[in-house]
Amino acid sequence: MRIEGNHTLKGKPEKVWNTLTDPEILAKCLPGCEKLEKTEEDTYKATLNMGIGSIKGTYTGQVKLVDKQPYSSFKMIVEGKGGPGFVKGEGILNLQEQNDHTLITYQGDAQVGGTIASVGQRMIQASAKMIIGQFFTALDMLQEQQPPSSETSSGGAPSGSSSPPPNFFFKVTLRYLWNELKKILRIKN
Amino acid sequence: MIPAAFEYLVPTTLDEALSALSTHTDAKILAGGHSLIPAMKLRLASPKYLIDISRISDLNYVRESGGQILIGAGTTHYQIESSTLLKEKCPLLTETAPYIGDVQVRNRGTLGGSLAHADPAADWPAAILAVGAEINVRSSRGERTLKAEDFFVDMMTTALQPNEILTEIRIPIPPQRTGSAYEKVKQPASGFALVGVAVQITLDTNRTCQRVQVGITGLAPKPFRAIGVENMLKGKVINDQLLAQAAEKAADGVDPLSDIHASAEYRSHLARVHTKRALQRAVSRI
Amino acid sequence: MATKLIGERIKRKEDPRLITGTASYVDDIKLPNVHHVAFLRSIYGHAKINKIDVSEARKLPGVVAVLTHDDIKGVLKPMPCVGGVPDMHTPEHYPLSGGKVRFVGEAIAAVVANDRYVARDALDLINVDYEPLPVVVDMEKALEKGAPLLYEEYGENRGFTWKISGGDIDKAFQEADRVVKLRLVNQRVAPIPLETRAVLAQYQDRGVEGELTVWTSTQIPHGIRTSIAGMLNLPEHRVRVIAPEVGGGFGCKVDFYGEEVLIPYLAMKLKVPVKWVEGRRENIQATDHGRDQINYIEAAVKNDGTVVGLRVKVLADMGAYYQLLSPVIPTLTGLMMCGPYKISNVSMEVLGVFTNKMATDAYRGAGRPEATYLLERTMDAIAAELNLDPVEVRMKNFIQPNEFPYKTATGLVYDSGNYQAALQKALDHVGYTKLREEQKKLREQGQYVGIGISSYVEICAFGPSAATATGGWESATVRIEPTGKVTVLTGSSPHGQGQETTFAQIVADGLGLTMEDITVQHGDTAVVQYGIGTFGSRATAVGGTAVYLALQKVKEKATKFAAHMLKVDSKGLVFRDGKIFPENNPEKSVTLTEVALAAYLAKDLPPDTEPGLVATAFYEPKNFTFPFGTHIAVVDIDPETGQIKFRRYVAVDDCGNIINMLTVHGQVHGGIAQGLGQALYEEVVYDENGQLLTGSFMDYCIPKAHHLPKFELDYTVTPTNVNPLGVKGVGEAGTIGSTPAVVNAVIDALAHLGVRNIDMPLKPEKIWKTIKEHAPKKGPIIVA
Ligand SMILES: Cc1cc2nc3c(=O)[nH]c(=O)nc-3n(C[C@H](O)[C@H](O)[C@H](O)COP(=O)(O)OP(=O)(O)OC[C@H]3O[C@@H](n4cnc5c(N)ncnc54)[C@H](O)[C@@H]3O)c2cc1C
Repeated sequence: MRIEGNHTLKGKPEKVWNTLTDPEILAKCLPGCEKLEKTEEDTYKATLNMGIGSIKGTYTGQVKLVDKQPYSSFKMIVEGKGGPGFVKGEGILNLQEQNDHTLITYQGDAQVGGTIASVGQRMIQASAKMIIGQFFTALDMLQEQQPPSSETSSGGAPSGSSSPPPNFFFKVTLRYLWNELKKILRIKN
Repeated sequence: MIPAAFEYLVPTTLDEALSALSTHTDAKILAGGHSLIPAMKLRLASPKYLIDISRISDLNYVRESGGQILIGAGTTHYQIESSTLLKEKCPLLTETAPYIGDVQVRNRGTLGGSLAHADPAADWPAAILAVGAEINVRSSRGERTLKAEDFFVDMMTTALQPNEILTEIRIPIPPQRTGSAYEKVKQPASGFALVGVAVQITLDTNRTCQRVQVGITGLAPKPFRAIGVENMLKGKVINDQLLAQAAEKAADGVDPLSDIHASAEYRSHLARVHTKRALQRAVSRI
Repeated sequence: MATKLIGERIKRKEDPRLITGTASYVDDIKLPNVHHVAFLRSIYGHAKINKIDVSEARKLPGVVAVLTHDDIKGVLKPMPCVGGVPDMHTPEHYPLSGGKVRFVGEAIAAVVANDRYVARDALDLINVDYEPLPVVVDMEKALEKGAPLLYEEYGENRGFTWKISGGDIDKAFQEADRVVKLRLVNQRVAPIPLETRAVLAQYQDRGVEGELTVWTSTQIPHGIRTSIAGMLNLPEHRVRVIAPEVGGGFGCKVDFYGEEVLIPYLAMKLKVPVKWVEGRRENIQATDHGRDQINYIEAAVKNDGTVVGLRVKVLADMGAYYQLLSPVIPTLTGLMMCGPYKISNVSMEVLGVFTNKMATDAYRGAGRPEATYLLERTMDAIAAELNLDPVEVRMKNFIQPNEFPYKTATGLVYDSGNYQAALQKALDHVGYTKLREEQKKLREQGQYVGIGISSYVEICAFGPSAATATGGWESATVRIEPTGKVTVLTGSSPHGQGQETTFAQIVADGLGLTMEDITVQHGDTAVVQYGIGTFGSRATAVGGTAVYLALQKVKEKATKFAAHMLKVDSKGLVFRDGKIFPENNPEKSVTLTEVALAAYLAKDLPPDTEPGLVATAFYEPKNFTFPFGTHIAVVDIDPETGQIKFRRYVAVDDCGNIINMLTVHGQVHGGIAQGLGQALYEEVVYDENGQLLTGSFMDYCIPKAHHLPKFELDYTVTPTNVNPLGVKGVGEAGTIGSTPAVVNAVIDALAHLGVRNIDMPLKPEKIWKTIKEHAPKKGPIIVA
């Protein structure tokens, strides 16, 4: 499945870049992220509890950031497997300044396998879009609340598991929704 | 097709159900079970607790009160289909019901369950939007009433909080000279809507459109009111050509679904064609 | 009153129990302490399995065993394929795969637990380390250089090449006025029996002579017995296979599946009864699929519509492995490529292709629907190209009624036929001439009406043993019990066809009894003599003939007893109304009961006669039979949306003599439903990663009652002389005749726009797009 789209985030690419590549922030914005642990440079082990509506499942896997071109682009590789099957996604995110904002364009491929693929074909594409949308919405909210000081380098590995999704995240949309939506996020990023 | 283990709770009053819902995390309301149980059998949903609300008799009614028709969330599709009150006062609902599933599904599935599940291809949401319904929800802390268009948030996602139960659907009784129609193109395998268009329109004696509501399901991740269509009709004298022109706006501004059964392009096209047909049929009934 | 049951409309003996839910399928059989199996199946289309960790699953309370490939390696043999063709690559596959998986749904681990729920829970505890490999699901791509290989060792995804030809094809093309070409996709469909597969096994260890009993939902119980005995190294007489009520098969249960050996193996190993009932999602993933061919057709034609040559290349998708008969299925397409037509020069090349999908194998019609589809679509393409009426093209090319037996260019000998009569009857029934006029008028008004014709001949009654993989005969026993009631044992184990009724009719007629006097037993290898099974529309023509022959034998003996008792000459004795008497002296009679009792009491035996009244016959047919017919569909297309509506559906079938009009109707109804399902709705869809997207009935559309038109059925009767009953077979006719009729109708509705082909399933969206593309421009186009 081809996935592409764009989102505009507040702030200049430098700021957005730092947010996007900050594992602590990622952990908060990846819908349903229960755990994000650094295993090696730019590689994280993740546990995500994602879904849509009453459909949900827990996936474990890894998130990897590669080909980092600071402030302009990187590639994100997400892989997860769980009860409902597996999700695998690979996408390039490009950051571009647009009047003090950052336009993120992304395109990639996602693969979904197992039960979800065999009974959920009609919803996969839309779910992916929805989860990606939530990711960016959360990111935007978070950036707003984040003092500029958070522009520390992403190298400072966060220790162990991140906290469960922070409160503000829930405010963004409905809490139960979130819980569920997180799963397919893997698909893309 | 074997679900994971769960605890099964059977409250007999709404308060009991609400309190169970606030006590247990990872609990799900079970109404007709015709969406939730299939998901559980596939293990795409594995709630730890099921709170079965089907024994709560005060969630099951269709009655008239103060210019509105009130429908309990636990009312089955078949009860709606066979309601003489609705047939007389809000025929769009009795017209829509038989399009849902088959007899077994209609005997078990509930209006509240369908709305709460918010399947993007479900039939009720289109009709509920077209009749301008309000949706009443309750939690152990209180209740609130939402407009139908605010209730549907995204695909399979509603404004319901995890601790809330949808209790009642309130439908304003349409005035004289109102016509309605539901048009559905079935996805042949599932019988769900590739596209479903529900229309309720009120004309005055000069055939000027006083009110019109067009609810569309199947086309987008969530059901929506086709505002573009409505705006082209409101206040205008209706003729076939105008209906056709307005229907052209049916898919405007939405991000259409696409799957192996129908592309986004075809779905949008179907929405336009069937909006036209639904409008024509609704008007012909005035 | 003389009994005459053959040819009557007799309600099926089977139906009361089926309708009232008292029939007993495999899953209804309860044994004490039964254990349940759940299979873990691959979620990848192609992957290396680096490791399967079952340790957590084994720990779950209630789980008694978890097996993977390592546990059966060296213990179980690879699964057999008996429908091979020369020079093919034959990959090995096992009930549980290891090392590599090649399609989604491939079994890789089996959990046995004391409870179905526990078995299922344990699946979630198995951890598989997959290493995904590139996937190929498209046959044309699979044959390209550099395509991902399912079997590195073969260096190609081609499994085999099989060729057939007759006449001089090159000369035919030289002499042709023109060549009509088509590329057709005959999409992959799933048989979807109402009852999924199910296996229950029990091993009773009786000291030295243990006995294995296996209940399985199959069309071939004896074949399964032989296979299980061979796979498990058991003496065959210690294995009993029972096919109880079987809820449909449509060919996918003429197979021997891994589960059918693994479940018995587990029952023996664990010393408890073991049961597995396939879920619907498993059924769509891991039970044989059907069709899946691409046909590249070239027809050499004269300007008057005569077809002088037909050259076809077929890509036949085998899926990832061969099942029991996979490779042989497309060869039937080759054998039947002449259809009802006198095409003297033909050639077909079939390439069997491996892809990352479930195997294809027999599905109702098995290779013949594909042949009819390609021919009937070609006939319409020729008609369109030459601006001739499709009827004219068919009539011009039909084999003439006086030319039977007719030898085709592919070497078959058609027994009997009158294709013109069936077509004419269908035309008259539908009112063809008037319909064409109406179509013209409606077209002028912008309405799209299409008339589709499909004339078919098919090959049935499999078959002479020399030409079939596992023996083409059938067996029957007719046993008159001491009370004069009759038990019939047939090797032709049914799965919904109604042999209990039709075979009873044959026997009741022959012995002058009523339907209630006869019971037909089947499906239990401990009860029934070795038999072949029910497939290829063979039950009546081969199984029924075996019954008929056994009946003649037992009748002869009963006649001897009666003559002895009546002290008359045995010649001229007739069986009627429960009695036996000289035709010219009905007063002088004995009842069959008296005769039976005498035969068993054996106080006064006729000379040289053994006691008892039982006879068994094994009938070996000398030829296949060739039923035929014409189906006509009339459709309306909504130009705005592409939605298709049926106006009429007329079928005139000829299956030779008719034993029971109701069961024939039943077969034709079901057949048309499935054929029409393929034309309009059904398609197994894998995405490019090999994920099965039509994994449930939410997305795989089997036709429901409301999708179907009213069937207007009629028949012509052209008996065969291949068997004494003059019957041909009708189990697959509906599926074979209907698909092209529907597609031809839809194409015909759009013909004036220049549309020549749209591939199945004819989804409204495709029609709509085609209309959109054609309406303004005009000119022939092909939509894939
Ligand atoms: C074979 C089949 C065919 C079908 N065809 C169609 C069709 O053509 N068109 C169509 O529209 N639908 C169709 N359906 C779905 C059917 O209408 C369901 O009944 C309906 O979607 C859900 O209602 P339910 O009462 O069964 O809800 P359930 O399955 O019990 O619940 C669904 C979800 O809603 C929640 N829920 C239920 N009631 C409440 C409540 N009062 N408050 C808060 N949350 C609640 C549950 O927790 C669950 O998450 C079909 C279903 C089947 C099985």
